[in-house]
This record gives sequence, structure tokens and C-alpha cells, in this order.
Amino acid sequence: MTGVRIFIVSMGIISPVGHGLLQTKDAIKEGRKGITPLSLFPTAQSKPLPVGEIRESFETGNVPRTHSLALIAAKEAMKGFNDALDAVVMGVSTGGILTTEEHMKKGDLEPELFRFHSTGSVAEYIAGEYKCTGPVITVSTACSSGTVAIKVALEMLRTGKVKRVLAGGADSLCRLTYYGFNSLQLIDPEGARPFDRNRNGMSVSEGAAMLLLVSDEDVPDNAVAEVLGAGLSCDAYHSSTPHPEGRGGAGAILAAVNDSDISLSDIDYINLHGTGTFHNDLSEAKALNSLFGDKKPLMSSVKGAFGHSLAAAGAIESVVSAMSISENMIPANIGCDEPDPELNLNIAMNYLETGVKTVLSNSFGFGGNNAAIVLGKPEKERSKAKLKKVSYLSIVGSSCITGAGDTDQTMDEILHGKDCKGLLSTKEISQNFPPNAVRRLKRLPRMVLSLAVAAHENSGVSDPPSSIFLGTGWGGLSETYDFLVNLYESNEQFASPTNFVGSVHNAPAGQVAIRFKATGPNITTTGGDYSFEQALMTASLLSDDIDADDTIFVIGADESHEILSHIFDRSVLLDQTRSDGGGALCLKTGETSSGLKIYPAFFESADNNRKVMSSLIENLGETEKINEKYGLVFAGIPAAHRKAGEKQLDEFLSLSGFLNPVNDYRKLTGEFASASAVAAVLAVRFVQNGKIPVQLSGSEDYHLNGKGILIIGLGKSVTAIEVIP
Amino acid sequence: MEQLLNELKVKIIETLNLEGVTPDDIDEDSQLVGGELEIDSIDVLELVLMMEKDYSVIVNNKELGAKVFSSLRTMADYICEKSPEKSN
Repeated sequence: MTGVRIFIVSMGIISPVGHGLLQTKDAIKEGRKGITPLSLFPTAQSKPLPVGEIRESFETGNVPRTHSLALIAAKEAMKGFNDALDAVVMGVSTGGILTTEEHMKKGDLEPELFRFHSTGSVAEYIAGEYKCTGPVITVSTACSSGTVAIKVALEMLRTGKVKRVLAGGADSLCRLTYYGFNSLQLIDPEGARPFDRNRNGMSVSEGAAMLLLVSDEDVPDNAVAEVLGAGLSCDAYHSSTPHPEGRGGAGAILAAVNDSDISLSDIDYINLHGTGTFHNDLSEAKALNSLFGDKKPLMSSVKGAFGHSLAAAGAIESVVSAMSISENMIPANIGCDEPDPELNLNIAMNYLETGVKTVLSNSFGFGGNNAAIVLGKPEKERSKAKLKKVSYLSIVGSSCITGAGDTDQTMDEILHGKDCKGLLSTKEISQNFPPNAVRRLKRLPRMVLSLAVAAHENSGVSDPPSSIFLGTGWGGLSETYDFLVNLYESNEQFASPTNFVGSVHNAPAGQVAIRFKATGPNITTTGGDYSFEQALMTASLLSDDIDADDTIFVIGADESHEILSHIFDRSVLLDQTRSDGGGALCLKTGETSSGLKIYPAFFESADNNRKVMSSLIENLGETEKINEKYGLVFAGIPAAHRKAGEKQLDEFLSLSGFLNPVNDYRKLTGEFASASAVAAVLAVRFVQNGKIPVQLSGSEDYHLNGKGILIIGLGKSVTAIEVIP
Repeated sequence: MEQLLNELKVKIIETLNLEGVTPDDIDEDSQLVGGELEIDSIDVLELVLMMEKDYSVIVNNKELGAKVFSSLRTMADYICEKSPEKSN
């Protein structure tokens, strides 16, 4: 049988306990703690709170701290490897916000200063450093991001289409998380004491870890550990509090164990999420008690020593777990003096050297986003996973929001030859919800919720979708802005917990999960202009993790913020009309022979990739096939990359000999990162109607006659999505 | 006291964006958290912030929070106790 196994062949790490694998290993062995009072930025507090701060000074150049940390980890992981990377997948929750905060505090709002603000810019920076021309994906699911990124990389490798993926996570300390977690009263002034009976909160931290993952049929000589599997779930319970019975955590662990083809009894060590907050540790303990009963392996959280580095944590703890296997050791649960007897866990109180073959590592985050991963010793005899097929997704429902209104209003404007640029009022966006249901939600979550409800209604399917994939270039800008402005106006005395919880990029998808009780995988991707494409690709990669009878949401949305949008997004700056909106698709993952389908056909970075357009055409098929298959090319050219994008489009048209209509859709939708989600919904509606309206096709209504529509994204990356009947 | 209770009702509606709720809808002695108004733990933390900003009263742990935010009246009582000059 042909199949693949996925191995970690190299790793890099920087955290408050050390720089590099050697220092990290020594710190674990010696039980060293990296928690000290914050010194990275001045605070108004007389006594700064303890955090996990990296004290070593390093050159940050002209990029924010998170980017530098990511590069330090990537350099260690890539040392001695010269083969090209096929993809980069990273978990990042706050991106370049530390730099953004400093400029905002000074009132310095020059767009050039915010070039590296986005969470997506970290993975793009790393991909650029290593000239990776393949897909670059950013996962932003708060504290589980790092582990979710490795899951996405794992599924990419299982397709056999990529062989080498650099995956990991990075986050630096910043005011948003320092004051934000404090506003939730979740910081232990003594430093985190996970699972201790007197535990009283977490320690916010920073760091980065990168893992080089490769697929191979046999164990490579340099294999550190094998990635056996990973599983995801969502609590669908509350935006910041974990499920009281640990339901979501248990679901992710079970999914990971099933994906790994092992039994719970095979696990030798559990690397716990264990933040040190009362509720997190209780919820995780309940999940473990429900699954393992009295047969618990040794377990520990390293967050008492490393702190909680948010999106980096899952990647850092995957490195620690792989080290546990390669070094045959179990780290001590630093910070815990007296395990809470109520939790009934088997906490490793001391560092231990013992044979470790299989490790489970848990990561749980805001929005109820849970992930668990299983690593194993790279033994010769182990079954290979069958190569998985990236499948088409069947479209059962769709909806969009644009400056023109809802889906019908948008279609109507377009049929009348108008564009759908502009902004709806926030009230209009959420007019179908009772005020109390959305009282804490600002513009983006209201938009996402409205899109989801409308797409589900359009599907006519009564069962609620189980899984959610959201792409957003910038996340909830209103929440982030309001949080920082209130903080600065009060001389850093007051930070709003509601704004903090809402500022997390995956908050809108968490709201959709709560509304639909969607407990399956819940992933938010934040890759700038290609965020929706990343969400669709991720959904397609994870289709085996979703029940074939289930429906799922793939959504793309961005809000226009009057201050932040044009300083963050150069495309927005270049358009005189402010626009925003998004699109939602309700999809089925099971193979069906008939009906409308969508497929993420192509994703490559355009930097250092002169052959990108011919590679796209090669992927789509021969010239004749392209003309037969697609009746329209919907081209997305972000204004910031107009010149390069137009050149790419010309090259596509000349190389493919495409003769059917072509439409430059951002001229209809206006400029916002997830405009492609609107294009996808318009494409779905055109294919359903069987024709392209005259305003888009040129001289007269263009009848599709069984043809589909190709949506291509141009600029920094080149992407293609097929919508076919 | 009556004045403080009425003032707090308005502030709760504003702070928590309770659209469509009027001061008369809030009963002084009803359970505040998890009651009819669907106030949860994050809302309570917003109220903590409001009390600190407007009355210089600090509620910095969960046990105390559970006591103070049990009802509107317990909130008012706590403000009176800790910050009598601001509560009249």
C-alpha cells in the first residue's frame, strides 16, 4: 500500500526559559522558571505583574518582536536544510501588535509604520526568508493556534502533494494580552501554579517554536518524533470560559487519539494545557478523568516555567513533547507545590528520565477552540496513513453582505450595472437579531453571525453545521481599537474585558459556534487578502475530520474601521470609497456526484516565483480544458498590488488562451481583505442562475451552459478557486 | 441610597449595552448574574471596571465579586461601605 508517515526532523525554539533546544533541555532538567516581573514596556502599575519575558536582547531590525522571535526559531529548525520548503503554516494571535501599540500611543498613524501589523505577516516573513513559493497559511485560534497550525500542516502532508512544511507558532508580549488577561482577573500575581490547590491564574508569556515536518514512507535518519495524529473540537459554550465539564477538551483528545490509530492506554505522558487558571485546569482535569478514569499516565504542564505564550504555546509544547520522546524524559509541573486533590490527576512533580514512546499534548483556547496532538517514537514498524485526496465540497447554501446590502440586494445592484461598494450601518448588519443577543458584539462578529445565519437559511438544511472555517484579514478592528484607546485614555488604568475577548481573531467564529452549537473543528485563518482562500483550503484539508453527513461553514469577512483599516491595509488606503462585507458558504464534505461544488484549486506565493502563472495553468489543465470548464474568470487584484496583479492576469490570459469573460471583481466589491468571499458567493449565484449578467460579461448575458467560474486571487500570492455545476 | 440604586441601574444599562432595557426593568433584589438580564462573568468584570472608574471601589477577587454582584442592592451597599463620599 502506498502511504505516508509524517515526521518531525528538526525543531527550533525560543522561550523565557532559553534560546534553542539545548538551553531548553537544560532548563527542563533543572526545573528552571522563566517568570519575572514585566520589563519589556513601562506600565502604570507600581508593581508590574509576573510574565514570561525573554530577557535576551536580539536584533529586531525593522520587523516587530513576534517576527524576530519566529525567525530565531525558524533559523534553528532550518539549520543544515537547503531543500526548498513546500509550505509554511503558523499560529499567530497578535502579530505585530506590540509595534502597533507603540505607534498608536504616540499618535503616529503613518501607514508605513504598520506594514507588519497583521498576524498573517509573520508567516509571510518567514516564508520570504526561506523563499518558500508554496502556500503560506496563518491560523489564529487564540491559545490553541500553534497546535492547530501543526494539524493543518499534517493534513497538507497527508495529501502527498507537499513533502516539507515548516509549522509552528509565535507571539510576543504586548499590552493587549498583558492588560487584557489582567482585566479578566486571570493573572496569578505569584506566577502561574498549574493544578496547584492554590492556583490563581496564568502568566502571560512570549516565544516561538518552529518544526520542520516531512512526509516519508520510511523513518528518515534524522527523525526526532513522528506526528501520529491530531484532533480539533469546539466547546460552543462561551467566548472565554471553558466548558465546565471539559466536553470540548475531551472531544479534541478523542479525535486526536482516533486520528493517530492508537489507544488511550498507549499514551506514556500527557503535556497538559494547564494555564493555572481555576477554570481551565478544572475543565482539563474533568476531560482527562472522563477519558482515562483511574489509568492516567504521568502528566505535567510546563506553563509554570514557560508561562503561557498564547499562539506559540502549542508549538513550544509540541517541541517539549517531541523532546520528551527523543530524550526519554518527563518535565516537572513547575509551580505546583500541592496538587489540587479535587482534580484527581497524576501530576509529575519532579523531572523524570524514563522511556517515553507516545505523548499527547493539549492546547485549549478562547472561543472554546481545542486542539490535541499525538507524537510517537519513530519506530520502524508502524502503519502508514493512506494518501488522502483533497476533495470538492458541495455547496448547499450561500450568503453575502456588501455595501449594497444582503445577497439579494447585492445581486440586484449588479444586475442593474452598479457596484456594491460602501458600508452598511452596524445596526443594519444585525437587524435580524434581538438587540440583547448581540449587545456585546461589534461590527465584525455581527457581520459573521448574520452571514452564517443567512447561508444556513439559504441551504434549507435543518441540522446546524458542525464545523466553522473563517477567513479574516484583520479580525475585529473595532474591539482592538477601543481596547487600546480606552487603555491609553485612562493612563493604562482601565482595560475592557469585553473588548479584549472580542479582539481575539477567532472570536466571531466562536460566536457562530455558540449559536449553532457547532462542536466540530473551528478554525480562523488570517492571511491578509488570501484569508478566505486559506479558510477554504483548510476546510477541504480537514474534510476527513468531519462527519460526511454534516454541513460546515466557510466564511470570509472583514470590517472597515475608520481609523485602522486604511493604516493597516494599503489597498483600502488607495480606494476613495470605504467598503466592507463578506460571504458565507454552507457546504457538505461528502463526495456527491451532482450539484454545485467548490474546490481550492491553487495556492502559491508569487514572491521569488517567476513561474507562478504557468504553474497555475498546469494545475488547472490544458488550455482547451480551461475554456471548456470556466465561463468566467473572476480576478481579485488588491489595489496595493494592482500593477503586479494586472501583469499576472495578462500573463494568465495569454498563457491560457482564455476567451470567455473576465471580471475584475474588486471594482464591484470595493477594497477589503476578504472581498474574494463575496466573489465566491456571486459566482455561486451566477452558476445557479446559469448565466453571467451582461454588465460583467460585456455585450450580452453570457450563458454558462454547464460551465463553472474560476476565481483567481492575484498580487503577493496567486490563488484559484473553482465553482462548478 | 435610593438615588445610588437608580444611578447604578442607568450605569449598568449603559456599561453592558442593554438595549431595550429600562431602569424600571431592573429589580434591586433580584439575582444579577445569570438572571433575567443574562449577565455573565465578562459583564461582571465590566461592572468591576465601572465601579473602579466611577466610585473608586475595587473588587479584585472572585469570592468578593460573587458577594458584591449578587444583586443591585449588594452592589450599592458595597459602594456605600467603601466609598461613602461618592455614594450620596
